[in-house]
Amino acid sequence: MDRRALLTSAVLAGATAFGSLAPETAFAQAAAQPVQPGEKDPNFAEGRVTGLVDTMLMVTGSDNTLWRIRITQGTSIWKLRPTTLDKVAVGDGLYARGARLADGTLAADAVWVNIVNLQVHIAALSRNTIHFDHRGKRVVGHVVPGTSAAVYNGTPAIGDMSMVQVGKHAQVIGAWLPDTNEIEIATLHTSA
Amino acid sequence: MTSLQPILLAAVLLWSARLKTFSKYAESSARRSPLARLLGDRRAVPAYRGVGVIEAAVAVLLLVRPSIGTWACAALGVGFVAYLAYGRLFAKEASCGCMSAQPSPIRARSFLRAFLVIALALVPVPVSLAGAGLVVAEALLFAALSTELDRHWLVPLRRLKARWTHPLASPGDFPVPVASSVEQLQRSSAYRELAPSLRSDLREHWDEGEWRLLLYSVTHAGVPASVVFAVPRLRYAPTDVRAAVVAESGETLATLHSAAQPEYAI
Repeated sequence: MDRRALLTSAVLAGATAFGSLAPETAFAQAAAQPVQPGEKDPNFAEGRVTGLVDTMLMVTGSDNTLWRIRITQGTSIWKLRPTTLDKVAVGDGLYARGARLADGTLAADAVWVNIVNLQVHIAALSRNTIHFDHRGKRVVGHVVPGTSAAVYNGTPAIGDMSMVQVGKHAQVIGAWLPDTNEIEIATLHTSA
Repeated sequence: MTSLQPILLAAVLLWSARLKTFSKYAESSARRSPLARLLGDRRAVPAYRGVGVIEAAVAVLLLVRPSIGTWACAALGVGFVAYLAYGRLFAKEASCGCMSAQPSPIRARSFLRAFLVIALALVPVPVSLAGAGLVVAEALLFAALSTELDRHWLVPLRRLKARWTHPLASPGDFPVPVASSVEQLQRSSAYRELAPSLRSDLREHWDEGEWRLLLYSVTHAGVPASVVFAVPRLRYAPTDVRAAVVAESGETLATLHSAAQPEYAI
């Protein structure tokens, strides 16, 4: 990919520092508008996708707020893995952070689609599936080979899930499969 | 005595009757069984004990008058099948309550066991060495069909299988997960310097030789730009992480090398 080659050479070939970087000046930020206690953060949205128009996501919040979320070139989209807008579907749940524009839309910087973060117990294992007990309810976790990672005892994430044990406590970051009790596992934190 | 099977059947029925009449778990077992649904909670317990008494009576009959006992046992077996069918259809959550207080959902094996009782009652086995062997085999088959006994043999076997062939084990090597590279990135000084101006989460990643490249959005001097980080892919060396801020035009605005780790970051 041309763009990737350009970016790769920018970071790997650039032995000479382009002017000395003075982060204080170069990366100086306008102070973000602080959110008053009890107020809603205007730059954050959550809800279920109800429509998709070009690069605009129509989202209904859990408090029935209607959001229009603008996806730009610089928006990161996560759905189990960093992905693109065409993987987002109607019915997906999402969290988005960005900046509110004057027309009421939210220009998203980052969108996390279907992301869940669960504190669970590992109840059972089967072929590429981990059954979790989440507050007495069963959650089925699918291991996606090549994507799912496990963190054992806080050490760096690895792809080998074979040290997962039944009965252990775990924290799982995953992508919910909408309207089911199933998730795809992104990262599983557990002890071995 | 012309057949060995009545002894086996009597043993099974006495075992079953013991749970229903003398066991201290009889009441709770009755309330979990489909009888609770059929007769109501209050009448389920006496009915359950009544079934136990009938089973004991048939067992005695099998030993004393096998010719009548086998027919009574077959009739009892048919009753079991009807009872299981009722439970399967109308009380799906109920425990069979058949031979143990151990909760045992009604499944195909419960039906097979009831059919086995009927078959054993109707087919005689002559008193001989081969016949004795056959009865032992029947007893083992009966045990295999009893979910109540699973914890003694099936569960340990499954545990052993899970230990030897882990269901999540996959052959071959694993690619380094992105989560691992991101964690390494976050421990580098390049990331710490740029973090306040990062706007997005990870946008894209790709591999280039021994490097993994991670792309984020950033605000540089008030203008949106991209920052690409190069993280060592196969080794842990946060001090080697490099970054380049690239404008949308493709011009490199700044490059950054990680400094040595301060002690608090390690």
